[in-house]
Amino acid sequence: MASFDSKTISHIHHELHSHLPSEPALRTRALESLLAEKKLIDPAAVDAWIEMYRDEIGPKRGAAVVARAWRDPAFKARLLADGTAAIDEFGFAGHATGHLQAVENTADVHNLVVCTLCSCYPFSILGLSPSWYKSNEYRARAVRDPRGALEEFGVKLDHRTQVRVWDSTSERRYLVVPERPKGVEDWDEEALAKLVTRNSMIGAERDLSPARATA
Amino acid sequence: MDGVHDLGGREGFGPIVDKADDKPFHADWEMRAFGMKQASAAAKSWTIDWFRHCRELTDPVDYLTRPYFDQWLTTLAAQMVDEGYLSLDEIKSGAATFAPKPGLPPQTAEAARAAVRNPRSFAVNVNAPPRFALGATVRCRLDGGSGHTRLPGYVRGRAGVIHAHHGGHILPDASAHGEERGEHLYTVSFASPDLWPEARGSADRVFVDLWESYLESA
Repeated sequence: MASFDSKTISHIHHELHSHLPSEPALRTRALESLLAEKKLIDPAAVDAWIEMYRDEIGPKRGAAVVARAWRDPAFKARLLADGTAAIDEFGFAGHATGHLQAVENTADVHNLVVCTLCSCYPFSILGLSPSWYKSNEYRARAVRDPRGALEEFGVKLDHRTQVRVWDSTSERRYLVVPERPKGVEDWDEEALAKLVTRNSMIGAERDLSPARATA
Repeated sequence: MDGVHDLGGREGFGPIVDKADDKPFHADWEMRAFGMKQASAAAKSWTIDWFRHCRELTDPVDYLTRPYFDQWLTTLAAQMVDEGYLSLDEIKSGAATFAPKPGLPPQTAEAARAAVRNPRSFAVNVNAPPRFALGATVRCRLDGGSGHTRLPGYVRGRAGVIHAHHGGHILPDASAHGEERGEHLYTVSFASPDLWPEARGSADRVFVDLWESYLESA
């Protein structure tokens, strides 16, 4: 029976700190060998999670969703109204997207997503989060100095553009729908999806125009 | 709890690191640690909130310095020691001495693949009507309590506006301590100048999902 007691867990953490190897690879190996021997993990299931998040699930899913939203106003309306139902049209609803909220960038609004208390992220549609998203630096600054944080990513906003920061404190997870760049009105979904980056769906990138790489 | 994990608005951390990172994993051990956390045996009472609380209780220096998936795995180990699935003596010696009977057995590969396709809902029915209407001004409680909460320090005592109401959701504060209870969940919109002295004159806003008991009328 779990203690649900903060002091007990604190004490266990201190013991683990003293008795587990400090080096992460050695610590992982020590625990994996114990958990496998005690049948607390099935190594085939561990492999399955790795394969899914290394090879199958990633930001390409979110990019496909955004590309459709750019092409199809009715889909965009469904995505903004009920993100989970809309991504399920692609079969993408799943891990950590039971309550997906899409938020739309416009000429006047830029959205940025953070989780200040831990690292909440819409896994089934964006894959595992990048290191910077989980970093102390980003979690500390995004709510207080979003414009400064964005400048570090090369996003410069003038003061007519409102920044909306979304702190993922509940099981609701956020997906930024970036603005469709100019000049791609006749592109198909597949071509459009290639313009959509992972960072743009968190809000850490804004300009997705095809020319930006060479600008 | 007023822990080191509550990072929103803390100053002095400096520039954001690893901005060009584009990989889900950076080493084999990261993959194994992630997979173990996702697939391990568990007790039925282990909620996502209990896991988060156990991670928050990591030694503060370790919390700020040890790698991310290492923290996941160490937190899982702490839960298992607490539950009685694993003993500190086994950790010290590296040798297993007993076979535990977990409430939920470890996932099979097939169950893992099913879990990833399951958009789990945290919505629950709440009989009482919501206390706050859209557009109402509310003020966050000053005290977060010593247990788990999703009321970040930087909004405590601050006033904001009800931007959206999401019906009843499982209350993390109760769920992290073994009790499943629903409460109305709202998105509260804060004007940045109401949170940060240096944001004077800014039209920027911060949106935070907050449960009803975190809020009072303002």
